Formats: sequence, structure tokens, C-alpha cells
Amino acid sequence: MKKIIHLTINELDHEIAVEPNKTLADLLRYDLKLTGTKKGCDTGDCGACTVIMNGDPVNSCLVLAVQTNGSRIETVEGLSTDEGIHPIQKAFVEKGAIQCGYCTPGMIMSTKSLLDKNPNPSEQEIREGISGNLCRCTGYTKIFEAIESLRS
Amino acid sequence: MLLPKFEFHEPGSIKEALELKKKWGSTARFLAGGTDLLVHLKKKIITTDHIISLQRIESLARITAHPDFVEIGACATMAAISETPVIQAKFSALKSGVDNIGTHLIRNRATLGGNVCNASPAGDSLPALLIYKALVLLESLDGKREVPIEEFFKGPGKTDMKADEILTGFRLPNPPVHSGAHYIQLGKRKSSEINVVNVASFLEFDPKTKKIIDARIALGSVAATPIRSLKAEALLKGKIAEETSFYEAGEKARFEDCKPIDDFRGSAAYRRAMVGVLTKRTLTTAFKLAGR
Repeated sequence: MKKIIHLTINELDHEIAVEPNKTLADLLRYDLKLTGTKKGCDTGDCGACTVIMNGDPVNSCLVLAVQTNGSRIETVEGLSTDEGIHPIQKAFVEKGAIQCGYCTPGMIMSTKSLLDKNPNPSEQEIREGISGNLCRCTGYTKIFEAIESLRS
Repeated sequence: MLLPKFEFHEPGSIKEALELKKKWGSTARFLAGGTDLLVHLKKKIITTDHIISLQRIESLARITAHPDFVEIGACATMAAISETPVIQAKFSALKSGVDNIGTHLIRNRATLGGNVCNASPAGDSLPALLIYKALVLLESLDGKREVPIEEFFKGPGKTDMKADEILTGFRLPNPPVHSGAHYIQLGKRKSSEINVVNVASFLEFDPKTKKIIDARIALGSVAATPIRSLKAEALLKGKIAEETSFYEAGEKARFEDCKPIDDFRGSAAYRRAMVGVLTKRTLTTAFKLAGR
């Protein structure tokens, strides 16, 4: 039986009827067409589905949509404004931290959460901050450099 | 991967959750962080008709420091436990254990109660709970029950929790003065891995005589459950706290206290050797911390 949930996604309020066995990742992608959030492993290993839930980054493939009732969700679509893309996105582009791009939204959401909590992370803190996100193309060096360039 | 169909329940109190569990019995499962349960459901390792989410029961997520002990709610997340000052100050081996679970994304959801109910022999939080003498707090509609953690694990994935019970939390007595504890996990990589061997040690000593008053050692990934290394502990009591004693305890733990198996993560022989090394190292660091 579907349940009605209320949640905020990228500062927009939503009222949605969801099946209990639907994950947050699937709700975002299939119901709301927010396909910036990717699905890689679907078991919490790869981090491609990372979104920020009530201020903390989580694997949206391991959260049931019904569990997000009353929550505040941030996805990669919420980052850009009328003035253009977000500084994190700009840094990733400028440093060539994107190859195939599949891990990028998850990497960027982990980076946002890291910098929101700690604007000046150490090398170790940067590495830990993206340790839940797997990239199979670049070997992380350019991703690391992009985040490093954003330190205040 | 598709999740099987189930009914979702979201009780607001422990009593309500227990009533739901009584109604649906073994066809219902409690959902805490979901980082194991949802994976097992997706992979069709388990099935369930009813999910009873514990996320709205606020008391289950609380961490409370009392004068003589700390109580950690079953649904406190690994991230929350790690950030709690009393855990950092008095239970550093537990902090180290929860910091090693999964990735930071997982730790924002995964709960201590979930890690314990999952009862993996390699569970990262479990050796620390053993050396800190945690009591497991259980509740059913008939009343409450407390079980020492070393009696709680019955096998891989099996615990002493009854079908009509909820694990509500853990009570950890404050460690005595002149004591220290340390945890080391050995894996193939730093993040998101399953341990080859994990060891936690606790040491209390008399600063005047340097004699060991009490020692507790817990070994993970080398038996069907996390286990206490009782012979090594007995050997240490009354000995002078020094490197040779810690080495002897490691040898005892390695040859007499563990039953490792061969698998793709490591051979039994390698695991045995590492039990010796990690027991010695954790005791050495525990002693250093005890002397501060």
C-alpha cells in the first residue's frame, strides 16, 4: 500500500505517494526525474547515489523513500543557481576531475557536505571525505586537486 | 536491484513497536539504519512481509552519560557515537571501532544496535563492546532483560535476542582509573572493507607496583563469533605491565584462544599470526594510554 510522504528536495516541498519498497534513489530518479543522482552498485559500496539528507551525506540506495518523510534532501540538481554552476562544479570542470562523469554527482555531494562542515580540510580530511565514493577513471588525483583548490 | 514488497510500519514508541512485532511475529523485521537489512533484502538473502522502522523512536537514538556508566541507544548512529565527547574521552576503543565501519556515508545511517544484531564475527564495533563489558539491554512486552555482551553472540548472524524482543541499547560501565584500551583492525584497504583480523584490548594496572590488575582481550574474525581471549587474559593478571608480558599474551591468544578459518581474505595461519601481533600491539597502546 502506498504511503503519502512530505519532504523538501532542493528547497522545494513535495507531497508524494510512494510504495514502501522504493528507495530514495529510485524516487529521485524515476518519480521525480532527478537523474543527476546515479545508481552504481545499489548496495552502498560505490557512493554514486550520494545525496545530503538533513545535513549528512548518505547512500540514497540504502534509504527507503518512506523513511524520508519530513526530511530535507539536497541533490546535485540543487547546486546551480541563475548565476551558473556551483563553485564545486566549476572546480571539478577546471581541474579535469571528470572523465566519464558517472561518479561526479556523488563526489560533488560528498565534497559539498565536507566543505559545509569544514571549509579548510586537511589532505587527510579530504581523502576521508570522499572515501565513500568510487571513481573508476581518474584515480582520484584530479578530484583531490579540485577539492583542494576550494579550501578557504 | 528491486526490493521485495513489504508493509512498512513506523511506530513512535518501543511499546508500539513490540506490539507490532508480536502481531506479525517472524514475518516482521526491525529496521534500524538499513545498511545491512536493505542489502540483504535486495540480494534476496532474506525476505520479510513487514518492516518495522525504529527511526521515529527518539529514545532509541540517545547517548546518555551517567555518573558510573554510559548508555548508548540501539539506534544511535556510528557517526553520532564517534562525535560524542564521553565516548571520545572514556571509550576510545569503541570510537575507533565505529570509525572503521563501512564508509562515512554508511556511518551516517548504520547503528550500533544493527551492527550487534547482525552478529558478524568481523563486526568492527563488537570487540570494543566485549572489552568494555557492555550489557545488552533487551525489552519485550513481558519486561526488560540485560545480557552481558559475551553471552549475546551465538553464531554468525545469530544472537540471544528472542523473536518478541527489541534490543533497546547498551550500558557500558566507566573504565577504572589507571586503565586504557585500544582497537586495531587489519583489512586490505582503509575504507569500506571487511576485517581479516580485528582485536581490542583493555588493561588496568597498579601504578606503584606496575602489576596488571585486570586485562580483557577480544578477538574478531577468528571464530564463529567475536570472542574473549580468556587464557591470554588469565596469563596477564598479576604480571608486570611490560613488552614481554604483552608478547606472551599474544602468543597465548594466537595458539590457544582462537579458531580461525581459511577464506579468500586470508589463511588461518596468517590470521593466527596476526592475532599474536595485534594482541601485543593493542596491549602496548592500552598500557600507554593507561599511564597518562
